[in-house]
Amino acid sequence: MEISPATPVFSCSSEVLFALAVKFTYVNTFTLLLYVTVELIPIFESLERCLQTKLVSQADLVQLRGQRRVMTTCTVKNGVVEDFSNVSLTGLSVRVFVDSKSWGFSSTNLLDFESVEQTLENALRLAKTSSKLKRQKVALEPVKEVTANVSVPVKKPVQNLSSEDMVEIPFAAYKGAQEAGRRVADVKATYISVEDDKYFLSSEGSRIHQNTTRAMLFVNVIAKSNSLICPAQENLGHTGGLELFDRTSPYSLGKAAGKKAVELLKARAPPSGKFRVVIHPTLCATMLHEAIGHPLEADLAMAGGGFGSHIGELVSSKLITIYDDGHVPGGLGYFAYDDEGVECEHSVLIENGVLKSFLHDRTSAAVAGVSPTGNAHAWDYSVEPLIRQTNIGIKAGDFSLGEMIVDVKEGLFLEGTFGGQADANADFTFGFQSARWIRHGRLAEELRGANVAGNAIEVFKNIDAVGKVAVLRPGACGKYQFAVQGRVVPAIRCEIMVGGMGD
Amino acid sequence: MGREANWNFLSSLVHKAIRVLEKKDVSHAEAFFTSTETTEVAIRNSEILTENKVDDSGVGFRVVVAGNKVGFACTNTLSEKAVLDAGEKAFAIARVSSEVPNFALPEASKPPKVNGLFDSGVAGISVKEGVDLARRAIKAAEDFDKRVIAKDGRVLFVSGWRGIVNTLGVDFEEQETKATIYLGGSGEQDGEVTGSCYDSALSRTVHLEPEKVGKSVGEMVIDLFKPESLKGFQGTVIFGPEAVSYQLFVALVDALKGENVAAERSAWTRKLGEIVASPNLTVTDNAVLERGFASRSFDDEGCSSQNTVLMRKGKLESFLHDATSANTLKKGNTGNASRFPSGFDMVRAIVGDGYRAKPEIYPSNLIIQPGNKTKAELLSEISKGVLIESMSGFVQPGSGMISTQLSRAFFIENGEIKHPIKDGMISGIAFDWFKRISGVGKDTKQFVNAVVPSIRVEGVKVVGT
Repeated sequence: MEISPATPVFSCSSEVLFALAVKFTYVNTFTLLLYVTVELIPIFESLERCLQTKLVSQADLVQLRGQRRVMTTCTVKNGVVEDFSNVSLTGLSVRVFVDSKSWGFSSTNLLDFESVEQTLENALRLAKTSSKLKRQKVALEPVKEVTANVSVPVKKPVQNLSSEDMVEIPFAAYKGAQEAGRRVADVKATYISVEDDKYFLSSEGSRIHQNTTRAMLFVNVIAKSNSLICPAQENLGHTGGLELFDRTSPYSLGKAAGKKAVELLKARAPPSGKFRVVIHPTLCATMLHEAIGHPLEADLAMAGGGFGSHIGELVSSKLITIYDDGHVPGGLGYFAYDDEGVECEHSVLIENGVLKSFLHDRTSAAVAGVSPTGNAHAWDYSVEPLIRQTNIGIKAGDFSLGEMIVDVKEGLFLEGTFGGQADANADFTFGFQSARWIRHGRLAEELRGANVAGNAIEVFKNIDAVGKVAVLRPGACGKYQFAVQGRVVPAIRCEIMVGGMGD
Repeated sequence: MGREANWNFLSSLVHKAIRVLEKKDVSHAEAFFTSTETTEVAIRNSEILTENKVDDSGVGFRVVVAGNKVGFACTNTLSEKAVLDAGEKAFAIARVSSEVPNFALPEASKPPKVNGLFDSGVAGISVKEGVDLARRAIKAAEDFDKRVIAKDGRVLFVSGWRGIVNTLGVDFEEQETKATIYLGGSGEQDGEVTGSCYDSALSRTVHLEPEKVGKSVGEMVIDLFKPESLKGFQGTVIFGPEAVSYQLFVALVDALKGENVAAERSAWTRKLGEIVASPNLTVTDNAVLERGFASRSFDDEGCSSQNTVLMRKGKLESFLHDATSANTLKKGNTGNASRFPSGFDMVRAIVGDGYRAKPEIYPSNLIIQPGNKTKAELLSEISKGVLIESMSGFVQPGSGMISTQLSRAFFIENGEIKHPIKDGMISGIAFDWFKRISGVGKDTKQFVNAVVPSIRVEGVKVVGT
């Protein structure tokens, strides 16, 4: 299973689109250096010097990335600070394209010029090794030379937080969860901030500096009654600083998770079989990402199966319009430029049910004869960019939640996510945290969580209602390497197979 | 600087940092450090997609101050300043942290010699050899049948050092190599596309048998054509090694982790010495297995490795421990502190593993003792059931609930495989299934942290359309 695009996801309880103006500055290379963090000047200079070496002429294209990442995590487990960590990483990578067909990639944490040059040599050697074996020449579309400095504004910087105050964040979530009562058996709350300073330089002339801060809070609760164990989780996350907690406090997030876990102890196990279901945005986020998002990634699509060769065809219900947008303010998948220096634009993927485009990097775009969509992203400097979703969204429809439920004679309302998986053939599975029976158009008794499964193409064809409020949720994905992403999702109604243990 | 010189330089910085920390007001200090070189060849759509080489090294410090308050910090910048700063940061964090009850670190011991962990062939491998292995695997899969497409995969060589030092006298270093080949394929015939099938080979040496992996993927793919849906029923299920190594392994490990037992999150809390599973189930954790993929002479906090019987004929004999959980439960440390656990954890996914994280309890080589029946023999005794080679979906922590989609599964009637299954799920509680194991195969397969055979379970709920 290790190489399947296993894709756990988290989602948050906040239902508000964050308004964040992103600061773009277009500058020349010299000015760009002024924005470079002091510690990173040596990397930036080494990379710049590397681009001037003779070796560069052996490649059609050289892409260099340097990064400094500082992560702080604080976990409170059952009232105890179980983990309090500071992770400081710096490194660089070289990616080269040779003979119009072969890529090579090499990365290192050693920053001196000699190591950078060695890394370039490694990348060239790797690219040339398989060049002769490759049948297909790829004519990469030239990318516009970009010199830019992008800084996502942060209202409340994470750096201003004292260690004592940082502990208070997961601790407040723990307290909120614990207040749900004595049946709360286990609470784990983790606060994480990720500060990234990234540089992209290419032999095509681009020089891009991106400075991003992300803040997240995860709360996992287990409630217990005799031998029955019920888990629940709530998460928050955005691109920005501590203003994340302005609308939803850590305490209230913890409280929501605790309350849910305890409530579920009284609920029955969900049934099994095929049901008409209304899927809440908290779960729709996972479904969109797994079921449709992955098959729309060109690398998976080109592997055959799924949506492979269906551009221009009706592949989904006509109620469905799907896009990917790196510029959604506050989205956890906010990116101004991808890791090939391509702007992360708004790409319409499915419009009124018709397949319009896949998510591309420069290579897949060239193979498909289209322009790249800015979806080449690497989790950090050490790994090669892959085709990833940024903030994927379903355009809101016309139905209120009540209107979606009222038409269902017997079905289920599914809520909350436990993550999921999908493969290139659009077969997916994902877990829901809780459910309600729908009987004669009304919500009835509460049920515990289980998994649902199906084939995306079949399920998305039978969507017959789309909610009128789309909300921004944080998400994450583990396709070969990790990524943080956003989802913008309404509720939907469809038919799906439920794998519950009840009757 | 050469790789070995680089390692010695890192080691000297780490030892210096520990000496500096020792002079401060600390109860304990520990440093875990690694240096690795990874070469990877990625396969996509019958071709070599790309080749990568990743060099990484770094150190993570755990510092404990009075009252068992623990701080952690790490760096991958190999300068004296950065390494000493990381130690200092861990110390500063520890002071504002809260007490971790029963926190402990291992004391000095003499680790056993575990043979076959390092191979100079892997350490000196060229990317050309990786490309050759990848091509041979692709060819074997696609030559098996023209309907087979080698969709994705990779050949991976990792070579490096791992070291641990603490203020209780632990000071160990070990060099190791790993080689892996993964291949995923699917098939296409008259517009029908099969689901993805995967196989892998894991080794400490370069001998990966790519042809065997490729052919196996080819066979799996061809078996999946013309699937049929089925009606739900309760029946006998054979979980193949891949399914056992994923979902059943996850449920088993969740219940065996000492920290889960201490927190009463484990389904087997207070069940030590009791029968918790079928007499067909015997499970060990063997970190000293010669050439074992997850073998090591010491764990990732410096406890000497051992072979631990966890369950003997269904009777629970031990849990998996690190120093802290052993101290909490007043049991012996089983040497299961790992900084490279598999499986998904959100925080670890963000932060990373190895020197970037504190250790957690995880198996080394978790071994389910094989039985004496072939898969065909296990099958022949089934009147109505399902053979599940792989399934997708997570296990619910604590409860052991498994509710999964059948990815590669076959309907069995009267001892014979009838057809592959389309649109099926199974659901149930893994701990109930462990009690109803009616047979264990002899078809053991090596996975990253598991060496497991097929397992046959009675009375499993199969969800159909």
